[in-house]
Parts: sequence; C-alpha cells; structure tokens
Amino acid sequence: MLKKLSLAALSVAAMSLGTGALASDCTIKLGAVLPVSGPMGQVGERIANTGQFAVDQFNEAGGVKGCKVEYVLRDTQGQSTVGVDAAKSLVDLEGVQALIGAVSSGVSLPILTSVAVPSKITQVSCCSSSESFTALAEEGKTDGFWFRTYATNRSQSAMGAYLTTKSGFKNTAVIYVNTDFGVGLAKRFEQDIAKLGGSISTMVAYNESQQSYRAEVTKALQGNPDSLFLVAFPVDGATITREWLALGGTDNLIVNNSLRSDDYFQAVGSKYLQNLQGYDSAQPRLPSVASFNEMFEARFDGPPNGPGLHSVYDAVSVVLLAMEASGDITGTNIRDNIRAVTSPDGVEVVVGPEGFKKAKELLAAGKTIRYVGATGALSFDKNGDVQAPKMTWKLDGDKNVETGYMSTAEVAELIEKLDN
Amino acid sequence: MIGLVSYLVFFLILSLIFGIAVLGLNLQWGFTGLFNAGVAGFIGIGAYTMAILTGPSRDAVFGGFELPFVIGLIGAMVVSGIAALAVGIVTHKLKHEYLAVATFGIAVTIQLVCLNWEYLTGGTLGLIGIPNPTKDLAEGPLAQNALFLCIVISLGLITFIAIENIVKSPWGRMLKAIREDEIASSSLGKDPARIRLEAFVLGCMAMGLSGALYVSFIGYVSPWDFLPILTFQIWTMLIVGGSANNRGALLGALIVWGVWTMSGYVISNVVPSEIQAQGGAMQAILIGLILVVMLLLRPRGLIGEELQVSRHARSLND
Repeated sequence: MLKKLSLAALSVAAMSLGTGALASDCTIKLGAVLPVSGPMGQVGERIANTGQFAVDQFNEAGGVKGCKVEYVLRDTQGQSTVGVDAAKSLVDLEGVQALIGAVSSGVSLPILTSVAVPSKITQVSCCSSSESFTALAEEGKTDGFWFRTYATNRSQSAMGAYLTTKSGFKNTAVIYVNTDFGVGLAKRFEQDIAKLGGSISTMVAYNESQQSYRAEVTKALQGNPDSLFLVAFPVDGATITREWLALGGTDNLIVNNSLRSDDYFQAVGSKYLQNLQGYDSAQPRLPSVASFNEMFEARFDGPPNGPGLHSVYDAVSVVLLAMEASGDITGTNIRDNIRAVTSPDGVEVVVGPEGFKKAKELLAAGKTIRYVGATGALSFDKNGDVQAPKMTWKLDGDKNVETGYMSTAEVAELIEKLDN
Repeated sequence: MIGLVSYLVFFLILSLIFGIAVLGLNLQWGFTGLFNAGVAGFIGIGAYTMAILTGPSRDAVFGGFELPFVIGLIGAMVVSGIAALAVGIVTHKLKHEYLAVATFGIAVTIQLVCLNWEYLTGGTLGLIGIPNPTKDLAEGPLAQNALFLCIVISLGLITFIAIENIVKSPWGRMLKAIREDEIASSSLGKDPARIRLEAFVLGCMAMGLSGALYVSFIGYVSPWDFLPILTFQIWTMLIVGGSANNRGALLGALIVWGVWTMSGYVISNVVPSEIQAQGGAMQAILIGLILVVMLLLRPRGLIGEELQVSRHARSLND
C-alpha cells in the first residue's frame, strides 16, 4: 500500500516536474503581424492584446507539446511594405511556422503571396475580408496556407436571395448603392437568386447622397416587380423607399443589414414597412462565446467590443491547437491539422485554459476535436473561409423582431448549394 | 544562418526597389531642384501598368495580357513617362512649394482613381496573381529571391550608370545651372522650362520602373500600396543619403529602409511581451529619432553632393 502510494506520489511529482521543466525549457514561437501603430493603430492594439491573451491562456494549459508559446508581435504600421518585411523577418530570423495577421486585406495579401505561400507558412487572419483571397485560393495560388476566422461578405447576397425566394417572390427589382460593397453584393445576388428559382426584373445602381431618386425608382418599377431588394444605407435608403412606395411600388421589401436601423424605420414610417424583411449577422448563441466574453472582461476590465477581438482569439487558438496536433511543427503540418482540430465530427472543446487542456488530452489520445471558439464553431471551407450565423428580422408595429436564426452550418450549407 | 541570408536577400530586394525610385527623385530634386511630392503616384502608375500588362486575364477587368516581364518593365516606364509628361506640361510654370502641392494632389488623385476605376485596376480588391519571372527559373523561395535580387541589382545598376552619365553630360550641367540660378541659365540661351520637364519625365520613369519591380516581386497590387507615406519614405531616403549624389541616394535607401525595419526587430526582441502592443509607438519614435539625429549630424546627408569645379579653373587650394 505504502509502496503504491509513494509510487503514485512519485509519478505525480515526476509529471508535474516534467511538464514544469519542459514548459520553461523550450519555446515555440508564434508570429503576429498587426497594425499596432498608424491609422489602424487603435483597433490593431486591442487585437494584438487579445492575441497575447489567447497565447497566455494556452500557456496556462501547458503550452504546445509542453513548450511555452512565445508570441512575437511585429507592427505593420498599416503599410504593405513594412508588413511584408516584418513577416519575412519573423519567418527567416525568428523561425515562426505560423503567422497571425494582418488586419487590412491590402497588407495580408502581399504577405500571403510573397512570404507565407513561398515559405510554406500557415497564415491566419482575424480581419481581412476581401474577396481576392477567395479568388486566389480558387486559382490554387494559396496552396491552402491561407485561413481567416472573419466571416466573409459572401453570405449577404445568399441571405437576400434566400429571403426573397422563401417568401415566394418571382420577379424582383434590385436597387443598390454604387460602391464596391453594393456592386459586389448586387452582382452576387443576381447569380444567387437564379439558383434559387427567382428572377430579376431590373437592376438599378444609385449614387450616394442625392436629393431625389425618382429616376432610379422609375426605372426599377419597369417590368412590374413583385418585390424589391434594396442594398442601401439608412439616409439614402429612406429616400428611395419613400419614393418607391409613393410611385406605387410594392411594399414587399427585402433589405440588407445596414438598413436594420431606427433612423431608416422612422424616416420612412414603420407602418409602411410591415411587409419588410431583412437579414443580419447574429452572435452565435453558444456557451463558448459567453465564456470568452467573461474571461475577456476579467482580464481587460471591459467587454470585448470592437472589430476582430473574437476572431483573433480564435485565429490564435486554432493555430496553437493545430501545432499541438502536428508531429513536427512546420507550416505545412499546421495547415493540414487546422481542419483536424475544427472537424465537424470531432469532440467539442471550448475556449479558455480548461478547454485547451481538454483539447490537448484528446489530441494526445489521438482523437479529432472540434474547437468551438469565441466566434462559435469554426468550419473552414476549401478556400480557408468561414461563415458566421445569420438571423432574419421584420417589423411588427414599431418593434424589430427576429423571424429566424441560421447557424453557421446552415449558412455554409446554403452557400455550398449556391456555389455548385 | 540560411534564415539570415534569406532575409537579407529579401531586404536588399525591397531596399533596391526603393533605391531606384530614390535615384529618380534625385534627378528631379537633387540635380534639378524639382520638388516632386507625388512620388507614390508615379510608382503606382508603373506598378499598375506592370500588373495590367503581365497579369492573368480576369472577367470584368481590363488587361491581363500576360506579356513577358521585360515588356512589362518597358511599358511601365513608358506609361509613367507619359503621365509625367502630362503632369509636367500642366505644372511647368510651378516651382518649389507650388509644384510640391500640385504633385502631392496628383498623387492623391492617382491613388483615388486606382481605388475607384474598377474596370482598370480592380478597385479596392486590387489585382492578384501578377507573375514573378523567377518562379519558373528556380526552385524554392531562397533561390527565386536570389535570382530576383540579381535582376534588381542589374536594373538598379543600369539606372545608376544612366543617371550618372546624364548628370555628368553637358545636359546634366544645365540641370544644376537651372537649380542654382534659373535667370542666369536662361540668359545663356537655355530653356529652363523644357529642361525641367525633361528631368521630371526621366525621374518619373525610374519611379515607374521601381513600381513595376515591386509588383512582380510581391505578386499583388492594391491602391493601399501607394499612400502618401511612401512618398515621405522615398524623400527621407534621399535626404538622409545625400541629395545630388547618386551613391548617396542608394545608400539612403538601404539605411532608411534598414532603420525602418530593423527597429521593428529590435523592439519586438527588447520589449517585454506584456507591453508588446505599445511597441509600435516605440518603433515610430525610434525611427523618427534616428533620422533626426542623422540629419543633425550630417545635414547634407551621409554622402552629400561632390564639389564640382570646372577643370579649366585653378584648384581651390591655390
């Protein structure tokens, strides 16, 4: 008995010694290239600190393979040349195998094409939303080294088309703002609605901040549309909607997320908008999101409000979990294992040191896991993109009420259907 | 060790690409006294021309002619030269700060056009997949970058020799004469406006070349690459290196880009991890400090203009 006990005590001691010694003996570097100064400095600094927070929590859980993770942050100053140099120096001089960053697409993309892909380094961005990444991945020019934890705008047109056809509208007019956002969304909508069995009567672009949109509205009314898909911002959107209704347009309106605003409802008058429907991004309703928010508040004395905070936490976590799952820690292995730690049929693990500890145990036992993070369960498609959950809404009297919720998986399924 | 070599190659490529633009600015400011505050715009024109001429074809975007690298380089120089000619003709009566304000405005306009003229430039999305000529010639990033460095060194050397010869020629002496005293040079029957225009166009062609090299090296171009900060960097390189000295221009590119990037490396290794996010501000301070100190110690730049005395005159020491 005594022997057994002492043996147990010894092994416990050895274990704690073992991990303790290892954790201080070796370090694994994780590179981050973020704009902590320059025009994006304010945003970037909070993102950078949240990245550090994720690394600290992972270290609390024992680090990667018993090694302490060192978070090496470099500033891009919001400039592509500086960002590219910082990334190259992290890869060549610090020997990092994975990069977190950058924030602007105009910086992330040069890093991807001139550093990450040639050097076979996995790059995960928290915040770059450009469609160019998807295009590049489709052409096979990213070799799969690109991931982002920020949901792309792809789902917007899909949601618009989904709402329109679900309501049984067959002949839809589109009025959209003439910016890269509006043009991109409207063009995608045109493709998407055809796939779902709807059709378009006319597509009309409008330029911002005009006094009247009579000409545009008149043009859009041609062809007797039974519904209108409006991509606009509140002030111009209200002008267009008023003129549309005044000239006898249908009140079957589908609007984009920017019009989910009291300014818009009041300017038009809620009573005229009772047949309006819209969509928006939804915070995933998951315990992992709430527990991230709690831990964040405890650490930073304030809620995680601001762009990129949830998504950078997940970017770091996913990379570190993938490192843990890799044999040798190389960019290629990290790339290959990112999907193994976000596998839809894996065992669910959540955020925080406890979650990471459990994840490490499961990985050590050779299980696949599904990381459910600060932005919910991530599932990267073949281009490294993720989707966010969406909700649909309408007006009931003056009240803005939710009419439906689509989880990430459902959004991804919808887009899959539209893209193939 | 290999990492260090690989990084140095990468660093040299970028600083020499800047160096070529600095050589162009040196011809304009250093030798002719033209205050061009629109450097980023002309680099941008060269970059987009390269991207359009050599890039892959895309739906709804003009260009994608997939022409060879060399054609792209020549095209970039020609188009930025033509743009400079147009700008130069419009602004030929402007001098000093007036020219600076005008060219600054033109650079901002060029950047905004790149941002909004989607059909030509891809708008905010930029143009992707611009081929790097070394991709088919060598295996692995280090070999490819080393080869690209050879290309940049050769082109940098050609630019350097060309501009050296230009400024040593009688035409080059005229540039300096105009810089020093325009009235005196026109009294000798020279046409300052025309010569200024010629220097402006030649300088902008070097900037276009620099932009073209940047795009083929990085493989991507977007309007965000040509913000006014780039103009400021190129100017700093020239002033620190020594204006009116071509070796100074190249040295300035190396030193300033070195300070700019190595300060980031130093900061991220020195600053404790808890306050790493503040490192960006420290880096900005460090860059500013080093540049100010350099200018205080060597106001004419690291290697300033060489004193030139007519070989017919007697030595100054006599």
